[in-house]
Order: sequence, then structure tokens, then C-alpha cells
Amino acid sequence: MHGRVKVKTTAQQEEEKRKEREKKLKIYVAARDACFSKRTDGVLDEEALQLTQQLLSSNPDFATLWNYRREILMHQETIKDEDEVQNIYEAELLFLESCLKVNPKSYGSWHHRSWVSARLPRPDWSRELSLCDRCLSLDDRNFHCWDYRRMVVRMSGVPVDKELEFTDRLIGSNFSNYSSWHYRSTLLPLLHPESPEPPSPCRQPQSSPPPSPQTQSHRVCEEQLLKEYELVQNAFFTDPNDQSAWFYYRWLLGRAEREEMISCVYVSREEERVAVAFSRPVNAQSVGLFLVLDGQPQRVEWRSVHPRFKQSPVWICDLPPGTINDISNEHNLTVHWTEKHTHRDCALYTGRTESWCRDTATDQELFRSELSVEKTSVLQSELQSVNQLQELEPLNKWCLLTIILLMRALDPLGYEKETLAHFQTLKEVDSMRSAYYNDLCSKFMIENTILKMEYAEVRVFSISDRNLTTLCHLDQLLLVTHINLSSNQLQRLPPQFAMLQCLEVLEADNNCIENLEGVYHLLRLEEVSLRNNKISTPADLKPLASCRKLKRLDLRGNPVTQSPDVESELSELLPSVTDLLL
Amino acid sequence: MGTQIKDVIIKPDAPSSLLLDKHADYIAAYGSKKDDYEYTLSEYLRMSGIYWGLTVMDLMDQLHRMNRQEIVDFIKSCQHECGGISASIGHDPHLLYTLSAVQILCLYGSVDEIDVDKVVEYVKGLQQEDGSFAGDKWGEIDTRFSFCAVATLSLLGKMDAINVDKAIEFVLSCMNFDGGFGCRPGSESHAGQIYCCTGFLSLTGQLHQLNADLLGWWLCERQLPSGGLNGRPEKLPDVCYSWWVLASLKIIGRIHWIDKAKLRGFILACQDEETGGFADRPGDMVDPFHTLFGVAGLSLLGDDQIKAVNPVLCMPEDVLQRIGLQPDLLS
Ligand SMILES: [Zn+2]
Repeated sequence: MHGRVKVKTTAQQEEEKRKEREKKLKIYVAARDACFSKRTDGVLDEEALQLTQQLLSSNPDFATLWNYRREILMHQETIKDEDEVQNIYEAELLFLESCLKVNPKSYGSWHHRSWVSARLPRPDWSRELSLCDRCLSLDDRNFHCWDYRRMVVRMSGVPVDKELEFTDRLIGSNFSNYSSWHYRSTLLPLLHPESPEPPSPCRQPQSSPPPSPQTQSHRVCEEQLLKEYELVQNAFFTDPNDQSAWFYYRWLLGRAEREEMISCVYVSREEERVAVAFSRPVNAQSVGLFLVLDGQPQRVEWRSVHPRFKQSPVWICDLPPGTINDISNEHNLTVHWTEKHTHRDCALYTGRTESWCRDTATDQELFRSELSVEKTSVLQSELQSVNQLQELEPLNKWCLLTIILLMRALDPLGYEKETLAHFQTLKEVDSMRSAYYNDLCSKFMIENTILKMEYAEVRVFSISDRNLTTLCHLDQLLLVTHINLSSNQLQRLPPQFAMLQCLEVLEADNNCIENLEGVYHLLRLEEVSLRNNKISTPADLKPLASCRKLKRLDLRGNPVTQSPDVESELSELLPSVTDLLL
Repeated sequence: MGTQIKDVIIKPDAPSSLLLDKHADYIAAYGSKKDDYEYTLSEYLRMSGIYWGLTVMDLMDQLHRMNRQEIVDFIKSCQHECGGISASIGHDPHLLYTLSAVQILCLYGSVDEIDVDKVVEYVKGLQQEDGSFAGDKWGEIDTRFSFCAVATLSLLGKMDAINVDKAIEFVLSCMNFDGGFGCRPGSESHAGQIYCCTGFLSLTGQLHQLNADLLGWWLCERQLPSGGLNGRPEKLPDVCYSWWVLASLKIIGRIHWIDKAKLRGFILACQDEETGGFADRPGDMVDPFHTLFGVAGLSLLGDDQIKAVNPVLCMPEDVLQRIGLQPDLLS
């Protein structure tokens, strides 16, 4: 189905071809039917091996025939001695080699080879490894062969450092080899882990599953990282347009995995409500979350901030009525996350209407620790060399993006201006992906604004006139009371917006907002200004009906103001609003 | 030395409008050449072939032109004692074709024509201790089969038959440095595999486990100057990869990260004006596989001449609404 070029033919050629195909069809159907009828009759002889071989050599994707061959081979195992079995299986490997030469990307052939290799009485893994070498020298991106190689390596206990050397060789002969870079990303953390555990020089056969971001740390020790930087720099200085090396470099620069924890506990006396933020989305109903108030375990029902989320970084619960509403009482609250053996305390003092306990984004170095190597000097010299490359290649998008990432790791606020300028160039040189760059730039500007807010120790989040196209990190804004998003390019306030549990005033004038799904159950929200947006029908304002304290709503300059009866419809939908501007 | 970008050039006379009638005729005629050599050679995937043809016909609102009774009878005759379904009569059952068969029966609203409990038993029986799924009793392991298993069970409303937590654990163990997924733990990322794994995580409610920004970047970098998308770095663009990348981007809420107009141009250029149907690339031979993914891709891009397609199951949305299945998408 792939890569068959259509060629123009005359009627006569067409007729000849038709005849030829008809002949081939007859032969094929006869062989197939012979195979099927033998199998139905339970025949497991060598003639059947011959017949299936004939069909499979031209059509290796005919999976059922491989199955039949396996049945025959397993039968032969029971009637022949070990040497004969060894011979039969070696012949099978030879046949497979010829199949793979013709069709090196057949799932069926590769799987059958794995199956045969595992059953061979005396396997010869070094031969299998050299088969992989030869196959990869013909096509160094054949993922079937790479996967087979990994199986051989695992079965025969090839040391990890030998495999790393293998990728050295491949990358040395051709930097543009994504498959090799990928393989390095799985080998390096095994060979040079960052954790204090002793490195295992040799992976045992049938050992634990290979690494992944989920099963073990992907971080690499610093000494090795420096060597790796050098290798990648060689690659992208040699060929700055080769994406493989840049993808790999971004991984090397990757952020450390965040510790799983409760990042914030917030309690409100008036609403008798607790909100909990986690460092990653969870399902609080199933992770063993429980709440202790003044030493008494409480039966509470956790719910995510929006019905759309089964997994969320922010969860809320209501305390039993009357438990904390007396302002002259002091309360101590603890939220336990039993699955992770962690908890967070929060004290609500006499006379206070609310309280919280948290790690701030600045405490956690949330946006700064983008890089694995914390040492500024290393990053500085990385930035210098990539800057050098950029002077030679001013319009290279990979280079520009990498500079942005390095600048963010070093000093996100200090480099803000340069970052914005680089984003501008990026959008021009790679216009197909301008929406990606817009969203990434929005993310970085939001991170900067969060940092500024935290340094200023305020609960006001203001990010107007920044060309924002998307909102993110909203779980970091749990405590924010005032938000100003005016004069951006937002199209919606997404469900995540409902994480702003303390929000009182929302300003989002001069955007293109048409969807308000996330302005949902914000119990403190009093003022909403949405001038000059794209809200078109009263139904679009439905989520606001769940914000019971809403008093002031400014909708001037929205299409909805033109719809007939808008005033009466809205007064019915939003009875709490006393100040409606249309 | 500098790498040349591998890409195709779209000729100025390439088709630039959608030839729906021709595609419908092409698919309607395809199944009638049963004694054709090429057709016979592809018997080992017949069930999927029928799914591709019927789905694209349904997306074009032409399903009535296909022979429903004949197809349902064929599926019934392909269900084996073990519950699994084969590509064709005389072939062995496999998860790939079990899913295709269930998808076809959903299009026709007639899953009860087969023994559903046995299908569920079959799928369940293929789950391994580590949570992965074998494609059939011969033990090939692949994240594609994890997708086939949960997609089949979701369509049948029987997800609880398997160990979902273990299945998730396995798929997540196949996540790579670039945020993508391969066939097995340690395998290189590949757009087809990413489609299967994001689809799997959607059906199991685990999309939050993805690094959507990183994966989305890798996916949108698949778009080449011709507008077409490839399946891995440094590969040629292809209509089927365009679908897998596009559907994955849709699932993770980042479809706007590619240039939609350019992709539409590429897909349209892969049509064959004479015969109808889509090829992998402009100027190649057409087939039902690329015809489905061409039309489905255009649907995801918002073409209103085509029914809305679901990015996770590659089936018309109205069919899934009928079943009451709404896979998660990131917003
Ligand atoms: Zn293709």
C-alpha cells in the first residue's frame, strides 16, 4: 500500500498484465487452498513447510501461515532429537533471513524470528546481533530491527556500555539518526544514573523492564551530561538543521520530575470549605486522601473543581455545617495523602476568615529548574555556544528555540525581553508552527507573571496585553482574588479556570472569548468584565449562574447584547446580578 | 554537509477540491473485484479492509450502498470457538480483526449478531501479567494491541473485564524521552504507535499522564513544507501518518499547532482524479486504507461535506453517540 507509483499504461500493456495476474492468481490460490486443507486435516509435515514457505516468501504478512508453520515446528520438536530440531530451526532462520531481505519491515517475519530464537535448543545470539548490525547498516531507522536487537541484547546479556558504544559508532558515521539518539536516551540513565545507586555495568538477562519516565528517573549524572552536551553540540554544529540532535538536546535540558506532594491547603471559614492543590493531577476520590480537623477524622466528599475532570490538581470538599464557622475559634487542619505517605497542616486562627499553607512556585523553583544541571556556569557556557551558532545561522529555528529554553533556565525574568524577540523571529521563520510558538510563549509569560506575583507577595494576577493565546498553570492561582487578562487573544476560559477558588474580580476585556465554561462555581466571584469579546448567546453565559455572589457583569461590545430579550433572559439566568452592562 | 528535508513536491495540476462522488464509487466498486490478484493477496487483512471501506462510506453518508447482510454474515462466519475474530474465513483470529469486526458491527448497530461474551473472554485472555496484550495466542506484544483491546471493550461496554490499571502501567512504560510511544518498552516513538497510546489513554481516562506540550511539539514537527505529515523524523509525508498525527493532536487538544490549510492541500493532492480514492502520496496508487484516512483527516480539519469523525476510534461521531461512548479529549 505504500510507495507504489502509478504508471500510465496502454490498453495492450494492461491486457498483458491482466493475463499475467490471472496466472499468478491461479497459482497463489491453489497453494493457499492446499495449505488450508492440509491444516484442516491436521497435517504437520515437511511438505506443509514447503508450501507455506512458497507463499510466505512473497506475502510475509499472511499471519495465519506463520501460525501454521509454528504448529508444524512444535510438532517436529516432539518427534525429532535435539540435533535435528536445531537443524530445522536453523533452516527456519535462513528462510527468515531471505524473507527479511525482500521485506525488512514485515511484523510477521520479525515476530517469527523472535519466536524461533527463543525456541532454538542452542541459540547463537552473536549471529543474531550481527544480523541486526547488517540490517541496520542498510537502514539505520528500521524500528523492527531495533526492537529485535533490544530483545537479543536482553536475552544474551550484552552490557549496556557496549550498546552505548554501538550508538557512538552509528552517530559518528551519521549524526542524523533519530533512532540512535533515542536508544541513547534509554541507555544513559541505566549506565550513569543520577541517583546514588551504584551503576550496573551489565544488564542481566530477563532483568527488570527497561527505563521509562514512569518507572525510573530519567536523569543522568552530571559528569556524563557534560560529555553528552559535547557530543550533541558536535552534531548540531555539523548540521544545524538536523532535528534529531535538537530533540535529544531538549531532553538533556529537561526538567527534573517534580516531587509528588500536596502543594497547598486552603480553608475558608465562611464557605466552610477546604481546597487542596497537588503537584500533579490526581483522582482524590481514589488516592486515599483524608482530612483531620482538630484531631478528628472527618467524613468529607472530595470533588474536582469542574465536572469535566476526573483527574485534577485541585480538589475541594465541604466541612460539616457549623464545624468552623465561629470566628472566635481556632482550628487545626491536616490533609493526609496516604498513598504517598505525605500530609500538610493548616491552622485557622481566631478572628481569621481564611487560611492556607503552601509551597510557592518560587519555593519550588517550579519554572526555573527546567534544566537537569543546576550549575549556572554550565548553562551559561551552553548558552554561549548556542549563541555562537545562531550568529552563523540567524534564522535557524532549532537554535532560536534552544536559546529561549536556556535563557528561561538561567533567568526567566531577566531574559524576558530577549525571549519575546526570539519568539517573534521564530514565528516568522517557521510560520507553519506559529500557533505552537504562541502557546509556548503564553506559557512562559504566565510563568513569569506568577513569579512576579509571588515575589510581590500579592494575590493579584495581572497579565494584560501580552498576546496570550492560551491559559495554563491555573492550579498555581488557587489563592488569587483579582485577575486581569485584558487585551490578549484568548478564545475561552477553559474548565481549568474553575481552580481559581478565591477569585473575586475577573477582568478579561478585549479578547476573543466565546466560551466561559471555566467560570464555574466560583463562590466569591462578584465582578466580571468581559467587554469586547465574542460571547454570542445568553446560553454561553450559563456557567456564570453557578457563581452565586456575582453582582456586576459588563458585556458591552459582545454580539450577545444584540440578541432580542437579552436583558430579561439574563436577569432570569443570573438573578444575583444587580449591575448588568450591555 | 546538511540534511535535505525529505518531502514531496505537489504539482500545480494536483487535485485541489474534494471528489467525494468518485471516492464513493471507488469504494463501492472495490469489493466487487473479488477474483483480482491484489485483492486476494490482501485477504489476510480483509476484516480491516471492510472496516476502512465501510467507515469512509459512512463518513460520506453512503453506507447504504454496501451490502449489509453479506458483511454481517461474513463477520459471523469469522468468529472462532475461542471468541476471537479472524480477517477472513480460514484465517486465525487476532485482536486487530476482532476490533475491526466490532467497529463494523457498531456502524450497523448490530453487535448482537455475534457472541459478545465470547469476544470479551477472548480479549481478556490475551492480557499478560505485565498488563500488556498479545495480538493473538502466539504472543506478539505491541501497544497497538493494548489499544485494540480497550477499544473493543469500550465499544462493547465491557472495559471492566480486564485489569485496566495494569494495562495503563504497561502503556506508560512505553513512553519515551520525546513524550511519544513505541511498540514496547524501549521502542522508538512512531506516530502510529502514539495514536494507539493516546487513544488508549483517552479510553482509560488517563490523558493527564501525558506530557502533552512535549508530545505536541514532536507531533507538530511532523509537518513538512508540502503540508503533509510524516510518522517519524526524517521520513516522507503520508496520508495515513497525517491522520495518526492529526488525531493524536486532536486527542491532546493541540490540533491548532499544525497548519491546517497546508495539510488540507496535501491530502487533497493525494486523490486520484481518474479512479477516485486516495494514495499515500501524490501520484501513487490509491487504496481503501489511505482513502479512509484521507477523508477522516479532512473531517478532523473541519470539512463540512463529511460527517464528524471521532479521533480516538476513527468512526463517525453519530455512531458513537448512538452507543453512548464519548472518549476523553484534553482541552
Ligand atoms: Zn500510509
